[in-house]
Amino acid sequence: MKFHIIAAKDLKIVLRDRNALIMMFLVPMMIISVAGMALGGQYQQDMQIKVLIVDLDNDEVSRGLVEFLEEIDILDVDMESNEFAARDRVKNQEYGRLIIIPMGFTESVMTGQDTGLLIIVDPTEESDNTVLEKIVEGYASRISTNVVVVKTVSAYGIPAHTEEQILEIIDIAGQFVHPPPVDVTIENTASDLVEFSPFTQYVPGFAVMFLMFTTVQMGSISLIKEQEAGTLRRLITAPISKAEIIGGKIASTFVRGFVQLSVLIYFGHVAFDLDLGSDILALFVLIAAVTLASTGLGVLVAVLVKTVDQADSVSLFLVMIMSAIGGSWWPLSVEPQFMQDMAHFTITAWAMDGFYDLLYFDQGLAGILEEVKWLVLMMIIFFGIAIRRFKFE
Amino acid sequence: MNTDVIITVENLVKKYNGHTAVDGVSFEINRGEIFGLLGPNGAGKSTIISILCCLLEPTLGSVVIDGSDIRKNANNIKKIIGVVPQEISLYHTLTARENLAFYGKIYGLSGRTLKTRVEALLDMVGLRERADDLLEGYSGGMKHRINIAAALMHEPRILYLDEPTTGVDPQSRRRIYDTIQDLNRQGMTVLLTTHQMEDAEKLCHRIAIMDKGKLIALDTLKGLLELVGESDLIHVLAPEILPGPVEFIKRMPGVQKVSLDEGNMTVQLVRGRESLVGIIDILTSSGTRVESIYIKEPDLETLFLHLTGTTLRG
Repeated sequence: MKFHIIAAKDLKIVLRDRNALIMMFLVPMMIISVAGMALGGQYQQDMQIKVLIVDLDNDEVSRGLVEFLEEIDILDVDMESNEFAARDRVKNQEYGRLIIIPMGFTESVMTGQDTGLLIIVDPTEESDNTVLEKIVEGYASRISTNVVVVKTVSAYGIPAHTEEQILEIIDIAGQFVHPPPVDVTIENTASDLVEFSPFTQYVPGFAVMFLMFTTVQMGSISLIKEQEAGTLRRLITAPISKAEIIGGKIASTFVRGFVQLSVLIYFGHVAFDLDLGSDILALFVLIAAVTLASTGLGVLVAVLVKTVDQADSVSLFLVMIMSAIGGSWWPLSVEPQFMQDMAHFTITAWAMDGFYDLLYFDQGLAGILEEVKWLVLMMIIFFGIAIRRFKFE
Repeated sequence: MNTDVIITVENLVKKYNGHTAVDGVSFEINRGEIFGLLGPNGAGKSTIISILCCLLEPTLGSVVIDGSDIRKNANNIKKIIGVVPQEISLYHTLTARENLAFYGKIYGLSGRTLKTRVEALLDMVGLRERADDLLEGYSGGMKHRINIAAALMHEPRILYLDEPTTGVDPQSRRRIYDTIQDLNRQGMTVLLTTHQMEDAEKLCHRIAIMDKGKLIALDTLKGLLELVGESDLIHVLAPEILPGPVEFIKRMPGVQKVSLDEGNMTVQLVRGRESLVGIIDILTSSGTRVESIYIKEPDLETLFLHLTGTTLRG
């Protein structure tokens, strides 16, 4: 096998290219630093979930619910007294979520009658809605204990005429409920979340974008230059197989990309205290999968275009589009659902999902299997089409 | 099988998308010979070289190189041929030494053998002093010399050169001629394609003339020139020449062929010196402004005009 001779030659050429090295390492490091520091505050503000509340009850239990929601950091709570005005504000997308507490809510809870809370949501903001729903459901479950206790007391005909008596019974019931007699422990891999920093988004985001410039743009240009200069043709006249030639080109691009992405992630760790998670092997597996998929895309671009200029502009377009919708520049969760679905046709989206799973949720190798599966599938498709259509002449 | 023959091409046909680039070409090249394929651009020379390099599959016909059929034993053939492409097929951000070492490794050389071969070839092309300079700093002629050296790393038995002197200054051209002749003296068979008469006249033992995919003549230089007889060529540069005087010249006694290409008129005729005055008379009496006029002895260009009715550069 001689593919390593071609790969070594390509790497030597890159190591001599000062501009290429600056683009691979220095420029992304500067952009990560600037973006992380400049946009961090805005980014954290963007993480707030805005909620509008209409409290038609305005009594003890409803006020308790409002206070509970106001104490939660990620919720930005505003009050509105007019239900119709509130509905309009949600309809006009001023707020994504509206909670309506009905009149008589406190009385219903205290007297053991069924009641309910109404949450109106903007369907395009699914992930934020889910967070709010879980919070409100948790609170509703707690105050439902009141209703159950009062209903139980009434069913057995035990006299409890005053509010003090009811509260006393609830307190006693609460002692039996907390801790619950049947304990259900849910272990969530996300339970040990590290502190979220803007660099959790921007380090992998920009690192993946610049990886694409290396593998898709520079990778495709390197292959076409070899065609245009006649060196590819010359190599084919030598006793070396076409598979070894193309394998050498792929290997050099892969090594460049793998080193680049690894260095940029490590730079984030050293310079901005980016948590790398507990499974470094998984991190390298993800980096390898992302690099392979994007290397495949680079070869595909080289096959589909004819000149270096075309490769340059097509690659630039692809990298920018994938970075924008795939979550390099902002978290995927801020995009509408249909954009998130579309994004998962890109390498960037799967790469970013994988990096979040490792760097933020610390899910280890098992947590990124889905992302790696899709990235490997993309790599197979890209290489499959490219090698079938590759013209050495 | 004749062991003196190293390359046999029989009824070779190559078609691309309905266009016939090579049309039933047959020839043999002897071991130790410098063989030239001469013809204008588009004659099919480069296609033949591409087939002999195993880059292209022939549509029809057969090619046997040193006993191996190109369809069956391409890998064996690739080991004994060296190819010098028309363009500088080297890596400009590597040094000359690194380029040669790279191609040597591709041909399986390593260690001391590789090093010795690189140094020997740097000496041969006279670039040992500049061996560690990046190629991007070399002149065109120096790059051409390294381009040839890269094809010689594995000591091939046959060397193909595709238009080896195109775009080369006279001094480098002389050096390339010397290199090719030295290699041939060492026993290497050389096949070169060219549209430059000088290359073919100075280097080749035998010359095959091609036009529009067909081989139209094949012989030694002397044998080919005998086909022309005593014809001379008169070249006239007259940018504003009109059809009238051209027709008069065509009707002059002894004129065999006249070609006109953007003010460049070429007249093939017997006893050119005697007719020169008559041609000048026709041109001056018709008011044609003549920028230059000269007469040439019979050469390959005369032959090409004689055979095809067009000039080699036409």
